[in-house]
Amino acid sequence: MGFTLQMAALATLAILPFGIAAGLALARYTGPGKGALETFLSLPLVLPPTAVGVVLLELLSRRRFPGSLFASLDIEVVFTWKAVLLATAVMSFPLLVRSARTAFEEVDPRLVGMARSLGASPTRAFVRVTLPLAWRGLLGGSILAFSRALGEFGATVMVAGNIPGQTRTLALAVFHESQSGRDERAAVLAGVTVALAFAALWVTEWIARRRSVGAA
Amino acid sequence: MIQLDVELPLPEFTLRVDVCLEADVTAVMGPSGAGKTSLLETIAGLRRGATGKIGVAGRVFLDSSQRVQWSPERRRVGFVPQDAGLFPHMSALENVRFGARGDDARVSTVIDVLEIRSLLARRPDALSGGEKQRVALARALAMAPTLLLLDEPLASLDVGLRERILPYLLRVRDEWQVPILYVTHNVGEALALAGHVVLLREGQIQQAGPPLELLTSDAAVDDEIENVLRGRVIAHDTAGGITRVALASGPELAVRLAVGRSIGAAVTLAVPAEDVLVAIEPVSGLSARNIYAAELRTIDHGAVDVTLRCVPEQGGPAWIVRVTPQAARVLQLVPGRRVGLAVKSHSVRFI
Repeated sequence: MGFTLQMAALATLAILPFGIAAGLALARYTGPGKGALETFLSLPLVLPPTAVGVVLLELLSRRRFPGSLFASLDIEVVFTWKAVLLATAVMSFPLLVRSARTAFEEVDPRLVGMARSLGASPTRAFVRVTLPLAWRGLLGGSILAFSRALGEFGATVMVAGNIPGQTRTLALAVFHESQSGRDERAAVLAGVTVALAFAALWVTEWIARRRSVGAA
Repeated sequence: MIQLDVELPLPEFTLRVDVCLEADVTAVMGPSGAGKTSLLETIAGLRRGATGKIGVAGRVFLDSSQRVQWSPERRRVGFVPQDAGLFPHMSALENVRFGARGDDARVSTVIDVLEIRSLLARRPDALSGGEKQRVALARALAMAPTLLLLDEPLASLDVGLRERILPYLLRVRDEWQVPILYVTHNVGEALALAGHVVLLREGQIQQAGPPLELLTSDAAVDDEIENVLRGRVIAHDTAGGITRVALASGPELAVRLAVGRSIGAAVTLAVPAEDVLVAIEPVSGLSARNIYAAELRTIDHGAVDVTLRCVPEQGGPAWIVRVTPQAARVLQLVPGRRVGLAVKSHSVRFI
């Protein structure tokens, strides 16, 4: 369980800056290609996770970039914890982007304009106005992404395998115990995942409720 | 001095404004959707796509022929939008200090001038409409702006609040000497505050000039026109239910009892042009408390009403009077004719 939490937390932290940047871009950018970008970023949400796993395996293959780069640096990714991290990060990313986008869209752009006309640089306006007004949505999105990372199975099993003590997350362990006929142990592990997911979603709901009260 | 020669494409039309403004306060008027707010946002640098030239007090904000385009933060224009635009996650004090660059002395001064010291700890959602406007005005002034842009600062307020905020605007105008561009629908406000009026219609300047001439002419907005008068309270007649005000132009005006105004206090009064009665014979036995002899100077036939300008024999600025075309015909009103003007005490309101 410690390994699973660690991977999910690391994956969430790793995608946070990119998720915020992508969410902000989608919220503010109105030019051509926006629809295509949106669709592309949401693909992992609807694709079978195993398909995402295949794509990742291809990208990590030594024959092509960026797999060749890792190979030349002697970094082993496939079937290690790094692969777990990569798979969970890719699968959680769209959830974070969607939440971040909604959070940024709810920030009145005229307030950002006010900050600018009051002498704030674009960076200062973002830090002092946009971020504080969007932080609840960003936090909620992070927790959602974290929950998704906790339960990731399909892509993880493809690129990281199911190696005890190395790449076996909770979701993989549930599958393994059930396949091995140890139903009771599988049920206990499943119960743990329920508890974790429940806690994470409950916190998300709580934040959302506080936000709507604050807005009223 | 504000020099504008700008174009901004908008969905419905293109905003084209070419004007040079020298008055302390310029009122920008015109129907809804005429481009007034867009003009202010263009000057503040908040609208992309504007071309042309904008110069304020010798600083060139925009000159597309020279590829000059200052960012909003460099322009240092104090912009107060219609809804005040306060940052909801900051207290009133944090809002006021946002653009002050650490100039605490100035922050303290604007807080006193706008009388918001008791509000400083509150968040915007705990402020009333008028309080928000005052905090927003303080925030704009605290940054030491080179120009103030006010977008209908009083429009969302009820009449009582308007009366309380207008004096603050007059103080800002007189004490800070920052040029002000002021969007309003209200002719009374424009007459009370502005030295110059620009009338916008569908993105173009329809007319520009001194407020009194412009706002009483034919082309003026189909809005209520008010006579704005300045004076001092001289007496309260509690039994008679009236307060007597000596107008700066000479004569006295009896208004509804307002014991809240102390004797000697300077007041600004407004009388709707529709509420002034015109008589062509000496007036007697009328309930109206204010009757003046005047000379009819001009008659403008508008689409609906006839607008008269009448100069009192005791002197002072002309009264603007609106009558129906039928009344003008029946009374045989012609320029040069002597008339009597009657105003009910109840038709006069304090601004």
